[in-house]
Amino acid sequence: MKRHCFYFFVFLLSVSFISCSEETNFNQIDELEIRPSFETSIFYVKVQELLINRVSGANFFTQDFNFDAFEQPLFSERVIEGAITYELENTTSKQIEISIDFLDNADGILYTESFSLSPAPSATLSRIVAFGATGENIDIIRNTSKIRLSASTTINDSTSSLPDPSVVLKSSAQFTLEL
Amino acid sequence: MRRIGSFLLLLWCLCASGQNKPVLYDFNEIPQSLLLNPGTETNVKWFASVPFLSGVYGNIGSNQFVMNDIFANDGIDVNLKFRDRVLNTLQPNDEFSGAIQLEYFNLGFTISNPNLFLSIGGYLEIDAITYWPQDVAFLVFDGNANQLNRRYNLSDLNSSGSIVNVMHAGGRLRVNNNLTVGARGKIYSGILDYRSIGNRGYLVNTVGDNNRIATTLNADVRLRTSGIEALRTTDSYRKELIKRAAFGGDLGIGIDLGFTYHLSSQTTVTGSILDLGFIYHANDAKSYTLNGNATVEGIQIDVLQQLSDLNTDFWQDLVDDVEAAIPFETSTKGYFSMRQTKIYGSLRHDFGESVDRKKGGLDCNCRVGPARIKEARAKYKNAVGGQLFLINRPKGPQAAVTGFYTRRLGNALAVKTTYTIDKFNFTNIGLGLNLQAGPINLYAIAENLLGYQNISASKYASFQFGLNLVSWGNRK
Repeated sequence: MKRHCFYFFVFLLSVSFISCSEETNFNQIDELEIRPSFETSIFYVKVQELLINRVSGANFFTQDFNFDAFEQPLFSERVIEGAITYELENTTSKQIEISIDFLDNADGILYTESFSLSPAPSATLSRIVAFGATGENIDIIRNTSKIRLSASTTINDSTSSLPDPSVVLKSSAQFTLEL
Repeated sequence: MRRIGSFLLLLWCLCASGQNKPVLYDFNEIPQSLLLNPGTETNVKWFASVPFLSGVYGNIGSNQFVMNDIFANDGIDVNLKFRDRVLNTLQPNDEFSGAIQLEYFNLGFTISNPNLFLSIGGYLEIDAITYWPQDVAFLVFDGNANQLNRRYNLSDLNSSGSIVNVMHAGGRLRVNNNLTVGARGKIYSGILDYRSIGNRGYLVNTVGDNNRIATTLNADVRLRTSGIEALRTTDSYRKELIKRAAFGGDLGIGIDLGFTYHLSSQTTVTGSILDLGFIYHANDAKSYTLNGNATVEGIQIDVLQQLSDLNTDFWQDLVDDVEAAIPFETSTKGYFSMRQTKIYGSLRHDFGESVDRKKGGLDCNCRVGPARIKEARAKYKNAVGGQLFLINRPKGPQAAVTGFYTRRLGNALAVKTTYTIDKFNFTNIGLGLNLQAGPINLYAIAENLLGYQNISASKYASFQFGLNLVSWGNRK
């Protein structure tokens, strides 16, 4: 019996002593960086030439739009860099000037992006504006609460011969978050 | 970041191999083998386990990932290791799993009919399984930028786990010298449960009709929980745990069935089906669902069409539209969960010298069969055979095949060694020792012994030990 007890405890000790582990460092988990980049459209605006011709002044469109997307804590507290891509197409017969203002909660202008579109026929204007380390201050994005869209033209009531003449603004955003 | 790190560690630690116990199964010298086959033959007159020192079982495992992949102190950037060895390697069928079983009460005894052996007991069982959510992980770590037309599959989300108190009572009947059958009824008292399985849906960016990108979320995702709210809001964890464990939580029932049949004097076939049952989660059940389909292209304003509504809050309208299309809903409706049913089977061939023929005779478990049955079978020094194990899992059944060799060294010591092939590895060598020192029965079992050389590089680790007080029928 003693011999068997001995064997039993030798087994237990053997398992205890042969079990070993290569040197590990669990603190490495703190160095793991999770920085996903998400992309989606943000706004699309279409103004028909018919409307532009109805307005008497040069400034044919000004409108503030609430835009809380950037203010959401999940986004604003974690965004580190990104870019907004604009695509503008002018199929009207007019020279169009467009400005996009990023406004904070107090309607203060944080940043303005301006575009000048030649009358049709003209190519689509594409522009990528970076924010973060290599671009504009990322705080502009973090503090944006509204977008103000303004458009103006020279007084000209002609109409383009192209189908559905209008000014179209397309935009998408790609932002990197640090989780 | 620390929270995410802790989550990943928890994922590995909490998450379970198949709960297979190849060494303990059909290791007749150990009373706890009765829990794996209620029809197991032993010649114990009675046994009582020492609470919390018997039937202790735990395992953790992953079929692909080992701790060393990430945490080895090798000077390589952890981000490179994670991307190379986890993100770009693991597939949706790869799993992290873990289980702990803690027996707090187990008693077996014969009554006036020596062919009938009764047992009652209880144990606490914790188990969890999470399949690698590949697409969701890519979404979390990389995002969806520059991935036009790539569908991120939400069906990769598959996870479940529970903490259950199990009370059981059963009997084993020796029908004749060749056949022994057993059955056990179980009452489950669910303490905590969560499951998110059978999810469907996807997230995809495509070229928009109007705007640059159209983002589509199609979701049919559900998380069911029970007990979490009660534990989260209680003033006393201990009281709530005890209340829910003592049938104050979710209730369920189940059965175990098993048999042992001797094909010849030295060849035996055994089989069992365990945890054929369910739990109805009605006490503190809470379910969360996200079900619907929405495609958004951001705020869209056609000035001609919306000329009179330009002061509308377009952003809020967009949010409202998405929430209406894919409502996030909560419910307190109860739900059923099936227990993870397990099936064991074995074919054993005994050979060598009969143990009770040993010179000097034996005074304990030298025969197989009920206590006080004279025609009980002789026990041989050696046994060799094969076992099969099946368990139902969220993504279908998993199997393990085991070859084993048992050696009895006198009447006091028995050794069983196994070689198991399953999803986790092909080199799982297990070893179990059972020591009978008078009325004291002591056993220890370890699996995947090769993994113990470098435990952090092992995909699977499992241990069991126990201490019982035993009285042998032959001793009478």
